Amino acid sequence: MIGWQTVSRDSLFTRLDFRSKLALMGVLTTVALLWENPLWGGILAGATLLACLVAGVTWRYLMRLLRLLAPFFIFILFMQGFFAGPLITARTGQTALTPVWRFPAHWPLVGGAMLSQEGLLYGLNIIFKTLTMTLVVPLAIFTTDINAMLIGLVQLRVPYKIAFVVSSALRFFPLLAGELRAILEAQQLRGLDVERLPLTRRLALYARVAVPLILGALVKSQQLEVVLQAKAFTGDSQRTYLHEARLQGADYGLMAGMALFLAAVLVAYFAWGVGRFGVPAV
Amino acid sequence: MNSPLVRLERLSYQYPHTETLALYDISLEIRRGEFVGLIGPTGAGKTTLCLALSGIVPQFYGGRFFGRALVAGMDTVEQPVSALAARVGMVFEDPETQLTATSVENEVAFALENLRTPRPLMRERIARALGAVGLAGLEKRHPHELSGGQKQRLAIAAALAIMPELLVLDEATSQLDPRGAAEVFEVLRALNREQGMTVVLASHAAEELAEYADRLVLLDDGRLVAEGAPAELYSQVALIESHRLRPPQVAKTFSLLPHPPARLPVRLEEGLAALPPRPAREPLPQPPVPRPLAAPLITVEGLQHRFTDGTPTLTGIDLAFHPGEYVLIVGQNGAGKTSLVKHLLRLLEPTQGRVMLWGRESRAWSVGALARRIGYVAQNPDQQLFNLTVADEVAFALRQLRFPPAEIAARTTKVLTALGLEGVADRHPLSLPKGDRARVIIAAMLSLDPEVIVLDEPTTGQDYAGARAILELSRTLHRQGKTIIVITHQLYLMPEYAERVIVMGEGRVLLDAPLRQAFHTLEVLRETRLTPPQAVLLGQALCPAAMLLTPEEVARCLTASPPAGGAP
Repeated sequence: MIGWQTVSRDSLFTRLDFRSKLALMGVLTTVALLWENPLWGGILAGATLLACLVAGVTWRYLMRLLRLLAPFFIFILFMQGFFAGPLITARTGQTALTPVWRFPAHWPLVGGAMLSQEGLLYGLNIIFKTLTMTLVVPLAIFTTDINAMLIGLVQLRVPYKIAFVVSSALRFFPLLAGELRAILEAQQLRGLDVERLPLTRRLALYARVAVPLILGALVKSQQLEVVLQAKAFTGDSQRTYLHEARLQGADYGLMAGMALFLAAVLVAYFAWGVGRFGVPAV
Repeated sequence: MNSPLVRLERLSYQYPHTETLALYDISLEIRRGEFVGLIGPTGAGKTTLCLALSGIVPQFYGGRFFGRALVAGMDTVEQPVSALAARVGMVFEDPETQLTATSVENEVAFALENLRTPRPLMRERIARALGAVGLAGLEKRHPHELSGGQKQRLAIAAALAIMPELLVLDEATSQLDPRGAAEVFEVLRALNREQGMTVVLASHAAEELAEYADRLVLLDDGRLVAEGAPAELYSQVALIESHRLRPPQVAKTFSLLPHPPARLPVRLEEGLAALPPRPAREPLPQPPVPRPLAAPLITVEGLQHRFTDGTPTLTGIDLAFHPGEYVLIVGQNGAGKTSLVKHLLRLLEPTQGRVMLWGRESRAWSVGALARRIGYVAQNPDQQLFNLTVADEVAFALRQLRFPPAEIAARTTKVLTALGLEGVADRHPLSLPKGDRARVIIAAMLSLDPEVIVLDEPTTGQDYAGARAILELSRTLHRQGKTIIVITHQLYLMPEYAERVIVMGEGRVLLDAPLRQAFHTLEVLRETRLTPPQAVLLGQALCPAAMLLTPEEVARCLTASPPAGGAP
């Protein structure tokens, strides 16, 4: 199960201010959305994956994430491979697509449908976009202490109450994941071989998880509210902080680097078409 | 020193959408520097009273509030909770939910930040509070890395940092192992005696309250029933027991004498001082009746287990569980007790060694198939309830396993009746009191008629009557031929039930012996930081060879002894 984690390694990423990481997230997401060329998209996704590993996100976690996304990626690849033809024709002006495989003509409904090379490449482009946008989350969030995140958000003039809600939700996530695991385990402990049940019955079982999970979350959130009241919490922005967030040289360097990278990408994309679908990588 | 810090004047309170009063006409004064213990059965109103002292009742919950509560001269209805929070520090039961920050120092800082404390003063207060609870040096640690006792001490530090005049703790030790609870009580004693901090502690821990509290307040059904010094109140054993509570074992022991002293000893030290000299001829324990043991149902051979990060949880475990045994597994938190039973259910896989169940290795079983043979009630029953009615909860597994409808109805009715749940068959399981919720899980488990039943900390958070009710149920099942395995820290509850004890410490089996012998192997219990029942310690001082276990046995031995050397 994909859970929440905080990286244990002390690295450049953990020392960076959350605001510079937000800039990193913003730029990487923008570039991932802009580029349609699977080679450039692949390089960006690979670099983000590498950055995750350097930052201390575990290989095990990344593999679990990829396993979870794999069915979605396979679906995208084949959908685009078979059906992206008109889109590619409109984008590139290409009139004929390169066939990779066809359904036999006599098959009902899908007979004659063609899996095209261009469609597969377009599918890869969407996969890499998704991957980059997914991986920036552990890269920026897992490497940041929730308290530092809260202070960073407050310094970005996000109202304290909202910043607190965001940081509380992040703190709540592992608690809920733990509850979910315990409830699924409890179902197995009622003598059910859940993994051997047909999918429909399994889904019906999973649906039952909602009741104790939601009730558990409500109870916990009410307990948390009581605890906060007892700690003089009012949500008022007029409060002091033990720590303060200060931008260091590395933060300025990262933000400047990201700004330059974005500018270069935009110029290259619009001036020379670098990153456009169908334009070979330079 | 003696001016009242808290004054409750005819306080009554009713939660919204309820029909009965949670507190009824309570008048009480608490002087500065007092250590007051709140005692009472589950539902007595202890938590509500704690919350009323901080203004959270009624300001957060709403409801109807009558009378007046003054804390440090502030009316708890008129002053906002945030203003009261600067005077009243609160510590709650669950160490997990009340810690909200990601480092020890941020946890302590949170209330100070809310109270707009300047940063240099904040640093000074954090250092002082962490020093007071013995957590200095752990400022940067994540609270989740701390032990249970450390977490509660951190919660106390967070409350202390605001320098409150009153520290209120609601069942703050009930989820801790004996070691964690002892750590918390020691900190409270130091704060109270050395710094004059006024402490109000709601707790079921009779022995500890007798030791530490200046005064006890007994609540039941929202009413203040009695108050007085521990020596005075716990001396009234009949009164305490009539409110579904138990007195310290030392008081119970002396109350059973044919001519009990007017003022019973309530602290172990007093009890030991009141014992007569050792009899010249000590009675010997009744040898346990040997029972022929059939071939084991479960054997654990050379079991080792490590978590994925390499942390060892179990090392070199060799054990056998025979049909019809009642086994108690004890040990401090992290000793490996739950990890061991999870291997029996295949919820964990051995890193080395093997677990044989009914002649087949564990990996040959599915979790579901094993669960039909071994019923498991986990520590938190609420996570095991996922149906809308009690009857559906019991019938759930039978329906999923495609039993015929007639058999489902018959089995459900039989189990509900056997567990006294027929009256609540249509209620939502989570609407029942905690003791009944655990009973529902046991009922759901019994519908499959398992041979082995594992109860993991079944008595945590229960009052004495609730704990006894669950253990009585385990005894009934044992008499019906089931094999019972119970995990608990509360050793004093078990002599009447368990036959064999497995003492665990740091992932190893330290001792596997009959209960009488195990409870008297004090050095092993101490090694895993367990507290032997007071009756065992009295028995050790009185006639060690007899290996006495319960207040009744010690009282019998005392009755047969020469007169006491010193009046209690």
